[in-house]
Amino acid sequence: MATASRTRTSHLPFGGAPRPLHILMVGWEFPPNHTGGLGVHCFELCQELTHLGHRVTFLSPFVGPFTPVAGVTFRHPGEKTGGVAPEFPPAYWAGGTPDSPFTDSIDGYNSWVSNLTTIDAFDVVHVHDWFGTVGAIALAKRLHLPLVMTVHSTEYDRSLGHPWDHILHREELGIQSATKVVAVSRHLRQQLIDRYRAEAAKVTVIYNAVRPSERLERIDPEKRIVLYVGRLAAMKGVDTFLRAAARVVPSFTDVLFVIAGEGPEYERLIELAANLGIGDRVMFLGRVSEEEREILLAGSSVFVLPSVVEPFGIAALEAMAAGVPTIVSKTSGVAEMSRGTTFRVDFWDVDEFASRISELLEYPTLRATMGDQGRWAALREGWPERARETLVVYLDAMRAAGVRP
Amino acid sequence: MLYLHLHQPWRLGRFRFLDLGSGRPYFDVDRNLSIFKGIAQRSYRPALDRLHRALDDFPDFRFSLSLTGTFLEQARLAAPDVIERLRSLYRTGRVSLLSETYYHSLAFLVPPPELSEEVAMHREMLEKEFGAHPKVLRMTELAYSDDLARFAEAERFQGMLAEGWEGVLRGEPATYPYCAAPAPTVMLLLRHYPLSDDVGFRFSSSGWSEFPLTADKYARWLASTPGEIVGLFMDFETFGEHHQSRTGILEFLSALPGEVRRHPHLGWATVEEAIQIPPRAPLSVPYTMSWADQNRDLGAWLGNDLQRSAFEAAKKVGVLARRTGDPAILTDWRRLLTSDHFYYMYVSGHGADQGVHEYFSSYESPYDAYANYMNAMTDLRRRALDRLGVPILK
Repeated sequence: MATASRTRTSHLPFGGAPRPLHILMVGWEFPPNHTGGLGVHCFELCQELTHLGHRVTFLSPFVGPFTPVAGVTFRHPGEKTGGVAPEFPPAYWAGGTPDSPFTDSIDGYNSWVSNLTTIDAFDVVHVHDWFGTVGAIALAKRLHLPLVMTVHSTEYDRSLGHPWDHILHREELGIQSATKVVAVSRHLRQQLIDRYRAEAAKVTVIYNAVRPSERLERIDPEKRIVLYVGRLAAMKGVDTFLRAAARVVPSFTDVLFVIAGEGPEYERLIELAANLGIGDRVMFLGRVSEEEREILLAGSSVFVLPSVVEPFGIAALEAMAAGVPTIVSKTSGVAEMSRGTTFRVDFWDVDEFASRISELLEYPTLRATMGDQGRWAALREGWPERARETLVVYLDAMRAAGVRP
Repeated sequence: MLYLHLHQPWRLGRFRFLDLGSGRPYFDVDRNLSIFKGIAQRSYRPALDRLHRALDDFPDFRFSLSLTGTFLEQARLAAPDVIERLRSLYRTGRVSLLSETYYHSLAFLVPPPELSEEVAMHREMLEKEFGAHPKVLRMTELAYSDDLARFAEAERFQGMLAEGWEGVLRGEPATYPYCAAPAPTVMLLLRHYPLSDDVGFRFSSSGWSEFPLTADKYARWLASTPGEIVGLFMDFETFGEHHQSRTGILEFLSALPGEVRRHPHLGWATVEEAIQIPPRAPLSVPYTMSWADQNRDLGAWLGNDLQRSAFEAAKKVGVLARRTGDPAILTDWRRLLTSDHFYYMYVSGHGADQGVHEYFSSYESPYDAYANYMNAMTDLRRRALDRLGVPILK
C-alpha cells in the first residue's frame, strides 16, 4: 500500500506539492565539513528537494566551503564582510560553558538569522536541531511563515542526562514553537513527547537513509575486521565495544578490532584497550575520509553500533548498505527500521555483543546471508522517499499556519 | 476424514557463543512449558472437550489424531489433564492415532537407522500411554516420497498420509485413496489442501471472499466435492490458537458434525477405516513433497543456505553423537533435529510464506535462529568429542 502511494507521488511534479516551494533552511554544518548525521541529512534533503523542483536557501554559521548543490543558495553571517566570518569552534563538544566564546558565537548566529535581510519570498522555515532555533522562530514570525523543526538528537541524550540548560532551553523553545516537528526515529519522537511536552499530533518520524554508492567489491580477508565508525563520545558506548572485544579475542586469533573516529573519549579508550590486554588487537584510526571509510567497510566482517544513546545511527545503515553484517544497540533509531536484518542487542550487554560478534566471525553462511539481506533492507528506501515525506510535513505546516500551499 | 496434528517442539533458549562449554542447557524448559500452558488453555482443552461432546452427540462422527513425543513430554509437565482428555477420546474407539517420528524430526533425511529408531520410540510411547498400535504413518510435515513408502512397508504400516498435490496427481483427483507405486500394500490418504486450508489458513481472514466461513456452508462444499474421501488434515492448534476463539472457530468445530449429517451421502472415517477402501491407482512420488508453503517441497526447512548449513552440521554431529552412546547427548541431538528449528531459519524477504514463518517463529530473525542453533550444535559436537576422548581442534 505504502509502496503504491510512493510510486504515485514520484511521478507528480514537485513530488506532490502544488507548486515549487522555496525553503529557508536554518542549518548548522554542511558537507564537506561535517561531523555527524545532521550534515548528511541536510545535504541529501537539499539535493532531493531541488531535484523535485524546489529551491532551498541554506543558512549556516560557518563560512564554508559548502559542497555545491544546484538550486541551493548558501548564506552565512560572514557574507557581508566579504567572507571574513567570526571564528566558530568546529563543534560544540569542543567544550564551553554558557558564557564561553562558543555560546557567544551561537548568539551571533541567531541574531544574524533573525535579522536576515532578504528579498526572496519563502514558503517555510526549516530549522535543524537547537543551534538556530531562537533566530528561526523570530525569522518565521517576522516573515509570517510556518516553522518546521527536525530534531536529530536531544541535549538529554548527548549529555547522557546532564543537559546544559541554555541548550535545553533552545531545544524546548524550538520544539514548542514549531508548527510541525520531525524526529529521526520513533524512540526520539516519544522522547520529544515525554520530555519536551511536544504535542503528539505535530511530531512525525522521518528516518535517515543512505545513498547507494559506487560500492567497492566486498573482500573477505584472512584477518577479520570488526569495525566501529563514529564519534568517540560517551553516548556512543565504545567501552562496550572494547569490553566485548576482550571476550572475543581468546577464541579468534586472527581478528582485529578497528575504531575509526575521533572525539573526547579517544585517549581514555586507548587506555581502556591497553588495560583490557587487547592493545595489540585494537586499532584506532582517528578520523577517516569518506573514501577510507568505504574501503574499511568493504573489508570488514562485522560492523558494531554499541551506542548507549543513538537517535538514529546512520553509520550502521551505511555498513548495511555496504553488505557488512551489522550489530546495533536496541536503543538506536536504526534498530527500529532494521528488525530482522541486524542483530539487536541491549547496549549494556557486553556478553551478548561478544557472542554476536563471535557468531558472525565463526559462521560464514550467517555472515554472507545477513550481509546480503542487510544491503537489501538498507537500500529499499532512500533519500527520495525521505524528501517526499518531508515535503508532506512542509505542506501540513503551511496549511496549519494558514499559508496557501 | 478429519485428521489433526498435535505438536510442540523443544525450543532453544538463548545459547550464546560465550556459553560454549559452560554446561548450560540448550532448551528453555520454563519458557516451553509456559507456551504450552497458554496453548492448552486456548486450544487443547476447549477443542478436545468440544470434540468429545461431538462424539457423544453424533454417533457417526470420528476422526484421527497424531501427537509427537515432544508434545507429550511437555504435556506431562505442563498440562497432564490434556493427556487424560486424549486418552478418554481414544477410549471411545472412534479416534485413530497415527505413528510418526518421536521428535517431529528430519530423521528421514539422515542415514539409517535414525528414522526407524525414532518411529519405534514413538510407537512405544503410544503403546505405553494409550495402548494404541497405529497402522498408518505420517511423516514430519506430511513429508512423503517413494522411499518413505518403502520404509513404511518395511515397518509394516498399511497406510501413509501425503499432500494431495497436483504436481504428483497429474490430473487425478485427490479425493480417492491411492496406493504407493513402489509398495502397493501401503495405502495413501491425501490431503485435500483447498478445503483444509479454508479452515486452517483462511477461516479468520476478513479479506477472503468466503468470509465468514460457517459450518453449514463448509458442509455444503464437502457435499458437492466429487470423490470418495476428502482429507481434511490440519494442525490441531488451528482451533483456538492459530485462529483465536473470538473468531468463532471452536463453534465452527462443534457445529460441523451436525451440518455434515444433513447431507446423507456424507460420513466420517478414521484413517484406519479409510485405508480399507480399495485404492484407485498406484501413485509414484519420486521426490520428497510436504504440506508446507507454495512449493510443497522441503524448501521450508532446507531451502536456503542457512538451513542447509545447519542441517549439514547436524548430520555430522549425529555421527559423533551416535558413536558416544551417551543417552543425554543423543537426546539433545534428536531434539535439535526437530524440524521446527530449521523452519525458524527461513528467509524470503517477501511473499506470502514469510508471514506464516514469522508467526511460528520464536526468534526475531532467521539469523538469530541460525546463530543460536549453531552455537548449541557446536557445543554438542564438543561434548561428543570430549566423550569420545578426541582432542578438540579449534
